[in-house]
Amino acid sequence: MNIYVRLVYRNLRANLDKASLFFELVFPLFFIFVQGPAIGGTGLQLDLGGKIVGYAEYLATGAVTLTVINGGTNAGTQLWFDRKNGMFEQLLMGPFTRAQYILSIILATLIIGVVGSLLVFAFAFPVVGAGIAFTLRGQLLIAAALFLGTVFFGSFAITLSVALRSSETFQVVSTFAFFIFLFTSSVFFPTGSAPLAIQIVSLGNPLTYTTDIFRAGIFDALTPLVSLELLVLGLEAVVMFVLAVVAFRRIRV
Amino acid sequence: MTEDGPAVLVDQLSRSFGDKVAVDRVSFAIDRGEVFGFLGPNGAGKTTTIKMLTTLLPPSSGKATILGHDLATEGRSIRPRIGVVQQQDSFDQGLTVETSMDIYGLIWDVPKAERRRRIEELIDRFGMQEFRKTPTIDLSAGQRRRLQVAREFIHDMDLFFLDEPTVGLDPIVRRSVLDYLKERVKGGLTIFFTTHVLEEAEYLCDRIAVINQGRIVEIDTPENLKRRFGSAKEVEFKLLQGTSKEMAAALATLDGVTHQAQDEGSGVYRVTTSSPESVIPGIYRLAERLNLTVSSIYIAETTLEDAFINLVTDAKHAESNAGEA
Repeated sequence: MNIYVRLVYRNLRANLDKASLFFELVFPLFFIFVQGPAIGGTGLQLDLGGKIVGYAEYLATGAVTLTVINGGTNAGTQLWFDRKNGMFEQLLMGPFTRAQYILSIILATLIIGVVGSLLVFAFAFPVVGAGIAFTLRGQLLIAAALFLGTVFFGSFAITLSVALRSSETFQVVSTFAFFIFLFTSSVFFPTGSAPLAIQIVSLGNPLTYTTDIFRAGIFDALTPLVSLELLVLGLEAVVMFVLAVVAFRRIRV
Repeated sequence: MTEDGPAVLVDQLSRSFGDKVAVDRVSFAIDRGEVFGFLGPNGAGKTTTIKMLTTLLPPSSGKATILGHDLATEGRSIRPRIGVVQQQDSFDQGLTVETSMDIYGLIWDVPKAERRRRIEELIDRFGMQEFRKTPTIDLSAGQRRRLQVAREFIHDMDLFFLDEPTVGLDPIVRRSVLDYLKERVKGGLTIFFTTHVLEEAEYLCDRIAVINQGRIVEIDTPENLKRRFGSAKEVEFKLLQGTSKEMAAALATLDGVTHQAQDEGSGVYRVTTSSPESVIPGIYRLAERLNLTVSSIYIAETTLEDAFINLVTDAKHAESNAGEA
């Protein structure tokens, strides 16, 4: 059996924090079924590159990408579990390389992020279903957004977990970072209408691009900016992945 | 690469952390099928040496060959052929004992049927039936340690590194683990073993290296270490007639006796000597001359612990003397 398949399977079986995962899947449902319809009920509508969608649909798609960041955080948790329980060193003395180990965490995170997003999307379908445009271009954009977003946030969480000295600190800092990413992105509102400071921060925020690209894919609402956003998100994901690898290589055993 | 040479060949291996030298130019060789003990006080460099030999930590200088492969350049060829029990716990917290063994076998690419067979055998041999379905996070320290050692035998290996593997084990389990290791050595396994329990080093090891402050002080068989570095022995004896002032006085004249004492209450004479083999006949000759009868005689055994303490203490003295000079 392929070495990555074995390691990914082990990561998913041994290191999944099932309680957190459950919360991560349920959390977005509140946005989809509570906040979205409640605010959407005011008649708020938004323009996505010429396509008008209700706020409930807008927020439901944002809630799906919220799962990406949740899944990404799980990468850091996997690494922390292994470090805390002595399995990190144990695996590095096994028939694997450090690169294979870190890639297996990213791959497990991709599975968690993408499967989680699809599950939440399935729940969100009754809300967004009417507005969905099933095009090949749209599906490619969705795949790219989920893939790049998960790679970025998985790598980010790995870098954090390497830099921080305890799992408790990691939990606190990652949760704090999670909220910064969340509230300076386009998950809840169009950043173009936010205060200038938030607009500026959102320009560097990969969750903004993940969400924008995902929405563009779902509603086939392409703007000239989507290609640029894809490029920026791709660059951010690559840079963060390289940072994670560099940080990982420096873990003292 | 050669499959005929020693299992481990270490030449002037060193590792520093900043200014601190943890391992200082150690050299040794371990034959295939040998149990090699690595003893030293806390912080002597045992774990750092293991981390280097298991490819976890790159050496600062020096060379080593593991199973014929160069440590610096062939880590990927070394790792599939070694097993390691670290000093620290290592377990998958989300799994039961049985499942964690199964998944450990899986990541080592052991076929499923073989995994099942080995798991059953190991659970039986390591006495883990009672807690085979228990999540590893709920195990006691000793149970977790047992699992950690047993788990390594899920996969094949030629060389097994064990860093204080019996910490937390009760004496019965400890003995059964050591016996299992001995059994596997008969099948050709080579073992590199560290411990603070010197009786188990003596029980298991063919040869022992004593390391202190990063340097190897001595390498020899346990018997030779005891003989060469053990303390003077104590010969204890009793007379049928109870105590005798003449005997007490005569003992002082015996060659090789460095100290002698008599316990008035129990009537036991204690004679300290480095050569009991010549002192004991002397005691019998004295008794005959004084018309006394030796009713019991006993040599207090020199332990490996004596030899270890003497070696480490002597090394410390030598170090401080060199520093003063």
